[in-house]
Amino acid sequence: MRPAEIRVLATSVVAVCVSVAAASGLVVHRGAADFSAMAPSAALLGLAALSVILGFIAFRRDWLAHLKRMLAEVQASVAASGETSPAVQRDRIVGPVVADVRDQVTRMRTQIQELQVQRKNLEIQLRLADAQRRQSETMINGISDAMLVTNGFDELALANPAAAELFEFSLATSIRKPITEMLGSSRLAADIADLRTAPSRSNRRSWETVLPCNGVQRHFEVTMTCVMDGADQFSGVVTVLHDITREKEVSKMKSDFVSHVSHELRTPLSSIKAYAELLVDGEATDDKTRQEFYHVIQGEADRLSRLIDNILNISRIESGMTRVNKKAISLTAVLKEVLEVAMPSARDKQITLVDQIVPAFFQIEADRDMIYQAALNLISNAIKYTPAGGTVKVSASADEGKGEVTMLVADTGVGIPPDAMKHLFEKFFRVEQHKNMAKGSGLGLNLTRQIVETIHKGRMIVESTLGKGSTFGFALPILP
Amino acid sequence: MSAKTILVVDDESHILHVVSLKLQNAGFNTITAADGDEGLEAALATSVALVITDYQMPTMTGLEMARRLHKEPGKRDLPIILLTAHGLALEQIELAQAGIACCLSKPFSPREILGKVHSLLAEAEKVPAAVPQ
Repeated sequence: MRPAEIRVLATSVVAVCVSVAAASGLVVHRGAADFSAMAPSAALLGLAALSVILGFIAFRRDWLAHLKRMLAEVQASVAASGETSPAVQRDRIVGPVVADVRDQVTRMRTQIQELQVQRKNLEIQLRLADAQRRQSETMINGISDAMLVTNGFDELALANPAAAELFEFSLATSIRKPITEMLGSSRLAADIADLRTAPSRSNRRSWETVLPCNGVQRHFEVTMTCVMDGADQFSGVVTVLHDITREKEVSKMKSDFVSHVSHELRTPLSSIKAYAELLVDGEATDDKTRQEFYHVIQGEADRLSRLIDNILNISRIESGMTRVNKKAISLTAVLKEVLEVAMPSARDKQITLVDQIVPAFFQIEADRDMIYQAALNLISNAIKYTPAGGTVKVSASADEGKGEVTMLVADTGVGIPPDAMKHLFEKFFRVEQHKNMAKGSGLGLNLTRQIVETIHKGRMIVESTLGKGSTFGFALPILP
Repeated sequence: MSAKTILVVDDESHILHVVSLKLQNAGFNTITAADGDEGLEAALATSVALVITDYQMPTMTGLEMARRLHKEPGKRDLPIILLTAHGLALEQIELAQAGIACCLSKPFSPREILGKVHSLLAEAEKVPAAVPQ
C-alpha cells in the first residue's frame, strides 16, 4: 500500500469517526428527546458504520495486494540470491521480516553447502573403506593359512576358505554361528574361550597341535590373538593355523639324514682308528699282519672318501648347486670305459662280465662324468650282489620311436625281495638280508637316480626276481 | 686258570677282527658273530664271560639281543658292552633296561674296550652269581 493510499484511507476513517461522534453528541446532548427525533441520527450512524466496513474491506484488499507484491519481490530476490528491492527494504513492517528471513536463508544455505561437502567426504570415505574391506578380504582369502575371527560371544565373525576347507564348514552359512559348530571336537574352541576370558587379553598365544585333515593327521602351529578396539575394549579373537606338516617332515628327514651320515662315517672311521692304534701299540707283530692292517686302513679311508663324495654329490644335486657340463656324447663310448674299469673286480670275484653293447653311435646330451658315475654304480652293484660264477651282461640300444637310448645291466645275482623294491632308491637303504654280501652306504642308487632323472630328465629301469637276478638300467633322451 | 671267553658281535668284519685281536693279545679267547641271531646262538651255546656287540646289525639290534640274552637262564648278569655309531642318541634308561653294562661310541679305542672288559669282569667276580629259584 502506498503512503498516498494510506492517507486517503485514514482521511475517510477520520471523517466517519467525526460523523459518528457528532451524532452521538447530539443524542447525548439532547438527553430526553423522543425516540422519533433520534431517527436521523441513527441513519447517520449506520452510514458511518457502513463507511467503516467498506473502508476496512478496501484496506484489507489493498493490504493483501501489497503483501503479495512484497512477497513476490522477496521470492524473486531470494531465488536470484540478489539484493532485496528498495521498496521492500523501506517497508517498515515487511522490511525487517524480510531481512530476518534473508539472514535465515543465508545461514541455511551455508549449512546446506557444508552438509553437502560433509556428505561427499563421507561418500569418499565409504568408498575407501569398502575398497579396503574388499582388499583385506582378498588378502585373507588368498592366504593359505586357515584364519578364523570370533566375536565376544565366541561366534564366527570372519573366516577364509582355507579355514572352511580345514574344518569342513560353509563360509556362506556359518557367520554368526557358535564356533563350536565349526571346530567340532577339537580343543580350539575351548582355547578361544580361554583366551577371551583370560585376565590379560593382550597376550598372544602360540603352540603346536595335530588335527585331522582329509583323513590324515597334520601338524599345525596355532596362533591366537585378542583384538582390541580403539577404546581398548575386547572385540574378538583371531585364530591362525599354519600347516607345519611339511616342515616337520623335512626336519625329521634332515635329522635322519644326519644320523645316517654320522653312522656311515663312524663305521669306517672306527676301523681306521682301531687298526692304527694296534699298529702304534706294536700289536701287529709280523710284516704280514702289518701289511694287512695297512690295507684295511687304506680301504676304509677310500670307503670314507667315496661316502663323502656321494653325500656331497647328492646334496649338490638336490639343492640345485651342482655344476652340470652337458654336451653331445656317445653313450656306447662311456659304457666301454666303465666296463674296462669294472673288469678287474669282476674277474677277482670270478664273475663273467659280458659286453653286449652294439657298436652303434648313440648320441645323447649329457654330463659325461655323471653318466660314467651312474653306469659304474649299476655295474659295481651287479658285481657286488652276484655270487662267484655268475654273469653280468651290459647292453645298450636305441629306440628311435620312443626317442631314447637305454643301457641295461642284467645279473644272475641274489635278486631283490618284492617288499624292498619300493625302497631301493631311498638314501641309506640297503636290503637287510644282503647287507653282508658287500660293503656299501646305500647312497649309490639314490645318486644314480638323481643323475638320471633330475639332471638328465631320463628314467630308471629296475626288474628283479629274488634268487634269480636283477636288471638295472636307465633310459635317456636320444639326440636327433 | 683258563682264559675267559668273550663274544664279539658286529656285521663289520674289520671291527670283529680288530677287537678280537686286541682281546686275544690280552689273553682272552674270542668267538665272533655277524648278527644278532648268530650272537644269541653263540652266547647260549658257549660259556662266555662277556659280550661286546654292535648296536645296528641285520636281523636285530644289539640292544634287542642283550634283552633276549638276559632273559635266558644263567645269563641275567652277563656283562654286555654296546658299541654304537649313533653317538649319544640312545637313551640311558633304554640301555639300563636292556642290562647294558657299558656303551662306547664309535670310533672307539681298542685300549678303552680292553680297559672296560677288565673292569667289568673284575666287578662280575665280586658279585656272586644269582642262584636260580
